[in-house]
Amino acid sequence: MPSFFNSWLPFLYLYIGGGIFFLAGLLLIRKAKSIDMRLKRDRFWWKVMIFGFFYFVVFHGILIIAALYW
Amino acid sequence: MDQVHNIGSQLDWIVLVIYMIAMLLFGTYFAKYNKDTNDFFFGGRRFTWWLIAMSIVATGISSHSFVKYSAMGFKYGFSSSMSYMNDWFFVPFFLFGWLPIIVYSRIKSIPEYFERRFSPSARFFVTILQLLYLVGYVGIGFLTMGKAIMPLMPESFTILGFQIHVTLMGLIWVTAVITGIYITFGGQTAVIFTDLVQGLMLLFAGLMIFFLGVSYVGGWHSFWNLLPASWKVPFAGFNSPAEFNSVGTFWEDGIAGSVGFLFMNMGLIMRFMATKNVHEGRKAATINILFMLPISAIVVGGGGWVAKAISVMNPKLIPQNVNPDSVFVFVSNILTGRGVFGFVIAAIAAALMSTVSTLLNATAAIWVNDVDKPIRIWLKKIKKDDPVDENRAMSVARWATVAFTTLGVIAVYAFNSYPTVYQAHAFFHATLTPPLMIAIFFGAFWKKFTPAGLITTVIGGVTLMLLGFRYPLELIGPLAHGTPYDPVHPFTYMAALYNLIVCTGVAVIITLAQKQFQKYVNHLKKNPNHSAIMIALVIFSAAVVLLDLTIVFGKIDILPLTATYFISLLMCVSIAFITTYYVKYDPEKQTAGLTVWSIHKAKEWFKGSKLNEREGENAIVHFKLIDSEEDVIRFSHKDMHKMAAEPGDLVYISDTRKWLGGLKSCHSVYGKPHDEDGIVYITNLHMGKGLFVKDRMLEAEKEM
Repeated sequence: MPSFFNSWLPFLYLYIGGGIFFLAGLLLIRKAKSIDMRLKRDRFWWKVMIFGFFYFVVFHGILIIAALYW
Repeated sequence: MDQVHNIGSQLDWIVLVIYMIAMLLFGTYFAKYNKDTNDFFFGGRRFTWWLIAMSIVATGISSHSFVKYSAMGFKYGFSSSMSYMNDWFFVPFFLFGWLPIIVYSRIKSIPEYFERRFSPSARFFVTILQLLYLVGYVGIGFLTMGKAIMPLMPESFTILGFQIHVTLMGLIWVTAVITGIYITFGGQTAVIFTDLVQGLMLLFAGLMIFFLGVSYVGGWHSFWNLLPASWKVPFAGFNSPAEFNSVGTFWEDGIAGSVGFLFMNMGLIMRFMATKNVHEGRKAATINILFMLPISAIVVGGGGWVAKAISVMNPKLIPQNVNPDSVFVFVSNILTGRGVFGFVIAAIAAALMSTVSTLLNATAAIWVNDVDKPIRIWLKKIKKDDPVDENRAMSVARWATVAFTTLGVIAVYAFNSYPTVYQAHAFFHATLTPPLMIAIFFGAFWKKFTPAGLITTVIGGVTLMLLGFRYPLELIGPLAHGTPYDPVHPFTYMAALYNLIVCTGVAVIITLAQKQFQKYVNHLKKNPNHSAIMIALVIFSAAVVLLDLTIVFGKIDILPLTATYFISLLMCVSIAFITTYYVKYDPEKQTAGLTVWSIHKAKEWFKGSKLNEREGENAIVHFKLIDSEEDVIRFSHKDMHKMAAEPGDLVYISDTRKWLGGLKSCHSVYGKPHDEDGIVYITNLHMGKGLFVKDRMLEAEKEM
């Protein structure tokens, strides 16, 4: 069975490291008012962006669990 | 490793050739939509999201191709999908930063953005980097295409008594000629529409191979149980082996590669610029990353996964020492019948052709806008504001396509030394992406970033990167997260982290010290010898660059590393000083509408007047042709009210048939309303651009 070093560590590195860039992007576009939360369309995109991040987290998590235990 | 030859049958060759001819004809058919360079390069900025998304699939899949991911899938399992599932992190920056900036600023190329944001000299340096990046990408595409087709070829054949040995490079030259022809004549519209067909074909072919393979080994349960657990984990080992590891892939592909692909790949940027508006561009990007990329991971890696399962089940069928870059072709031949195999190979060729054609179109755009035009202005043959001579520009674009096709093939010689295409591509990303990535990122997202920061990053940052290439153990080793050192291709992946750090460091330090540089420059200008001092600094900087180049490429240790590094850092300071002295820069004027902090202003400039953000509905109308020279479209009062539009607002009209994807459409401006409800008045100008069909209804949409 693959060790933590070869399964969950890359997962954590990817989503913590990548998450920092992602969060910085979200904060920046809010601060710069590039995304206007008063507009319905922009609020939709805000939700899509956050959904997308967790979509990939869950997706990868399920794949690791499947590889290790199924 | 063994190079496979002669697989496939005559029928497969017939299918492949028919496919190639069909694509050539299909692509050149769309030449009629090229009225000017705007159509040739950007397809008239008219297409809907699904067409662009599929086009991006074709481009994306081929550049991260069947060949290299099947090779990695065969060697390492499901972790070959890593590169397809690490692209979300920069989506906020792209959707609400770079995408609206490039669309609303109406730039025609990335270097043009740098001239407006910084200076003509910035445009010059970025043009060089962009062309190197694109030519390198074309080279990778050709190399992959050659490696994919090679197993089909005999070792040699005889024509008119001459025996011709089939070599990889010979094969690449032939495929380059075929690709060059259809992009030279078809332009962006041809690329987008051939991509639609090619995208569908390659998705189908890749999934077919995967499911045939699963069925071949006895169904999903058998397939799953044949593979060891380490093969099923979606990540490679954290820091080993040297040729494929997670931490390296994160920095090289997840960071440098993702930003490179989304932000600085002019071919992809031109796709987004071909969408009818920013909202459609966002949809295309999102659907592509969320859904199409994970599917693509199966499409391109699946062949390698099933090949591994087959090799475990029957080691005689697929030998362990088969060349990994040939494994997809090899397993396809096992799983498919005669003719179908030819279709699969045609799909691979299609995938690779679509990437290469996109990039060639992009290089031509850069050549026309950023090399040819500035040179003609410099030679005083034209003035900056002169209208574009469309016939000449189209001719230059086509010749540029031919020239860059040739350069792309020449670039293959540099990449061919790597054991796999995957590693060649990783080296390319890690090396060429960081300086441009930092330039674009800081340019678009940091108002304070100055021409001195940019030019020092491009020259000084690249010099420090080259030193990392020469002294990998000393400079990259400490950042390598324990990845093993391969003396032949040292730190292929982790070089990206070192390169990002030095480029970011140079950019940030020089920008933060900008006030000091300006103070010293102002002080210097009072000195009667200021010109002589500046010339001395230019000579010093050039000498250090030459010294570094000699050390790196001549492999001569003229000075100890510490001294070389110190002198190179001094050179960075010198370049920053020189740039501050020579380049005129007005931060207020040159950041307005060109950074994320002033998108609203960019929208107003795009429109040419105050924004009207009232939400309305689309209107379905008949059209009536009127005799007028004005580029305005007139609707009835009632229709204008329905769309919440005012005269002067921007409008997009298209054929109501959604499946055309916006092919028959055009942009214009609302004119004064009339009283005929359900009718829009258009002119011959709009008919020419939109190629609307008589008696067909049109859908009108207020823009922005």
